Amino acid sequence: MSVSEEVKTTTATAEEWQPKILVFACQYCTYAGADLAGLSRLQYPPTTRVLRVPCSGRTNPQFVIRAFQKGIDGVLVAGCHPGDCHFSSGNYFARRRYLLMKRLMDFVGIDSRRFHVRWISGSEGPKFQQVVTEITEEIKALGPNRKLRDEDE
Amino acid sequence: MSDISQKMRDVAKKLLQDGTVSLVIGWEKGNLWYKSAPAFISLPEDADRLVFDDFCYHNLSKYLIDRRDMDGKITIFVKGCDSRSLIGMIQDKQIAREKLYIIGIPCPGMKEDKAAVGKKPGADLPEAKKCALCVNPNPLIYDELIGEKAPDREKKNDEILEKVEAMSQDEKYEFWQEQFSTCIRCYACRNVCPVCTCRECCFDSSAPQWLGKAENPSENSFYHLTRALHMAGRCVGCGECERVCPMGLPVMLLNRKLTKEVESLFNESPAGTVMEDMAAMNHYRLDDPEEFM
Amino acid sequence: MKGITKEKLNQLLQALSGDYQVFVPAKTSDTVTKFQPYGEGVQMFWQENTLLSPKDIFFPQTEKMYKFKTKGMSVDIATITPPDAPKILFGIRSCDVQSIDCMDKVFLTRGYEDEFYKTRRENTLLFALACSTHADTCFCTSMGIDPQQASLADVQMSDVGDAFALEAKTPAGEEVLKKFDANLVELSNPKIVPLDEILIHVDMEGVSEKLEGMFEHPLWDEVSSKCIGCSTCTYLCPTCYCFDIDSKLHGEDGTKIRCWDCCMFSEYSRMAGGHNPRPSKKERVRNRFMDKLLYNKKRHGQVFCVGCGRCVAKCPVNLEIATIIQKVKEAAI
Repeated sequence: MSVSEEVKTTTATAEEWQPKILVFACQYCTYAGADLAGLSRLQYPPTTRVLRVPCSGRTNPQFVIRAFQKGIDGVLVAGCHPGDCHFSSGNYFARRRYLLMKRLMDFVGIDSRRFHVRWISGSEGPKFQQVVTEITEEIKALGPNRKLRDEDE
Repeated sequence: MSDISQKMRDVAKKLLQDGTVSLVIGWEKGNLWYKSAPAFISLPEDADRLVFDDFCYHNLSKYLIDRRDMDGKITIFVKGCDSRSLIGMIQDKQIAREKLYIIGIPCPGMKEDKAAVGKKPGADLPEAKKCALCVNPNPLIYDELIGEKAPDREKKNDEILEKVEAMSQDEKYEFWQEQFSTCIRCYACRNVCPVCTCRECCFDSSAPQWLGKAENPSENSFYHLTRALHMAGRCVGCGECERVCPMGLPVMLLNRKLTKEVESLFNESPAGTVMEDMAAMNHYRLDDPEEFM
Repeated sequence: MKGITKEKLNQLLQALSGDYQVFVPAKTSDTVTKFQPYGEGVQMFWQENTLLSPKDIFFPQTEKMYKFKTKGMSVDIATITPPDAPKILFGIRSCDVQSIDCMDKVFLTRGYEDEFYKTRRENTLLFALACSTHADTCFCTSMGIDPQQASLADVQMSDVGDAFALEAKTPAGEEVLKKFDANLVELSNPKIVPLDEILIHVDMEGVSEKLEGMFEHPLWDEVSSKCIGCSTCTYLCPTCYCFDIDSKLHGEDGTKIRCWDCCMFSEYSRMAGGHNPRPSKKERVRNRFMDKLLYNKKRHGQVFCVGCGRCVAKCPVNLEIATIIQKVKEAAI
């Protein structure tokens, strides 16, 4: 089922609604950390979608906006700790970029609590589980995202 | 200002005649008294078309992008704001400094042409909206300067920005959605912007199609927010985007917000002011604010 | 002569709204005026022509054409029917009325009837307003249009000071005035407010014919230099009709949409494989003016410029058709 179809079926019954979280995980740290969480049998919400990117610095603000357009309720961009980037500086650029993006989101009335950026390393399986679970709970409390939603989505 | 016009014509004529440059980009009169327009002069005898008046608000630097590979050097006339975008372009390596013979004109501020509609020539007009928050009336880069240096301008409070910042989250969303639903996606703001120089703009891409063709508030929001973030740290505040918008959208408001945040977060020189510096999003510091641990 | 006092205008519009969807020129924000369905809270605007032309009533900027669902190798298509309720365009000016004539020729003639345009266009009455004021940028008189008598009007409205005089011009117009006679009054000795001298004049004599031989003329290099390639002129122009068709896909389903497009965009004529027959601004600017002043004249019998002046007012660099016509007229061959 496509993501948007799942959103339609899950929002049909309010009590069953689970937020859809999209995670942009950097290949060398966060993705490995997520994998470790899986290997360690650490449970995290199954409504999380992980998209692997080579580096958190590859992600673009428009990815986040498009995710909200398509019906995602919360976005997490996660990468290596500053100083540990596989490409040396990708996460430094990402840090600057997303510090700005959060402030712009608040300025145009979109709740920036729906957008998180965290540094999760390859050995931090428990942190991945913890972060994703926390975000899912926070966004569950905020409700489904209606802002920026494209009319047909 | 009429003696500046004469100086423009004289210097353009000389530069074209002795072959220093093969093209002069300046301004000429349009078809109404309150309209001037960009002018492209390649023959000395055409130099008499050049003017500098209250309606020369166009930032001419964007025109250099299409002409950076032409033979010969180009002369461009720049006001204060325009000169900042030239510095930005040279920093971004969009045009070579050696290609240009820059003539700076200290700017007394332009007049608001939208207020002139229906009025007789010479009517008293308010200052152009885009000049309200100007702090750089004098060009920051030039090979030659014509006219007297303009007096420094006091930095004013950005009242419109403060007003929107003070709104509640829902009020802000409503305000911006109303603005974005008025947008007709003509792309005048992007096309006139001297900082928007990508060979293939992401919004024109059909594979992958980032921006759908439908005109609705969601897609329009995507366009404006993405463009503001792509330009963050490089916008020089020339205000052209807002001036050209046929629907009167407060396009600069997004850019000014980001400029303010860049200034407070990253301690960088304002975009297009120091040639040796890099644009804020083009580099980083190890001690940048950390909120994401 | 029958008419409606400006004081009682709302009553007439309310009465008409019972049977028709009535579009009136309205101010929707500080900077935008456009045709909107009459209703509560609509701020009517009569001082000058609207910023956005009424072409989006018959030819919306984004139009959903049909929905589709794919199942394996087959596809189910569900047409989306455009609204076909009877309409009145109330207060549309001569230039825009002429533009509707142009659009009718594009969408309804020469062997193909565009069903979406046709459905919206049918059952529409035009209550044309004679201009008593004009903008700096108007030049309809140079394009063969009478600002105080619209060609296709069903009812010609004229400003006579404290009222609008209403004169039926077609049987359909007569019928509607008769039907709503109770709301109208007899005007004694109505004097139409005369129109001030229009500022911009262009000489169209021989221009189309001259353009036939000007495809390679150096004029186009000169005039296209300052164009920034946006679509301000095209989207505001009441006779520009180019569109693109796109799909909005989600998984196996989708919607086909038609949306305005602009020949000034660099990728407008880009083809699969990357070839673009109009690679630079010069070709695109030349195409636009040739299309307006020559190609459409040959194809449909009329020049596709009605002198509304919207491009003159809003082009960021003052590149507009009045000056182009002048330059063509004066160009040395």
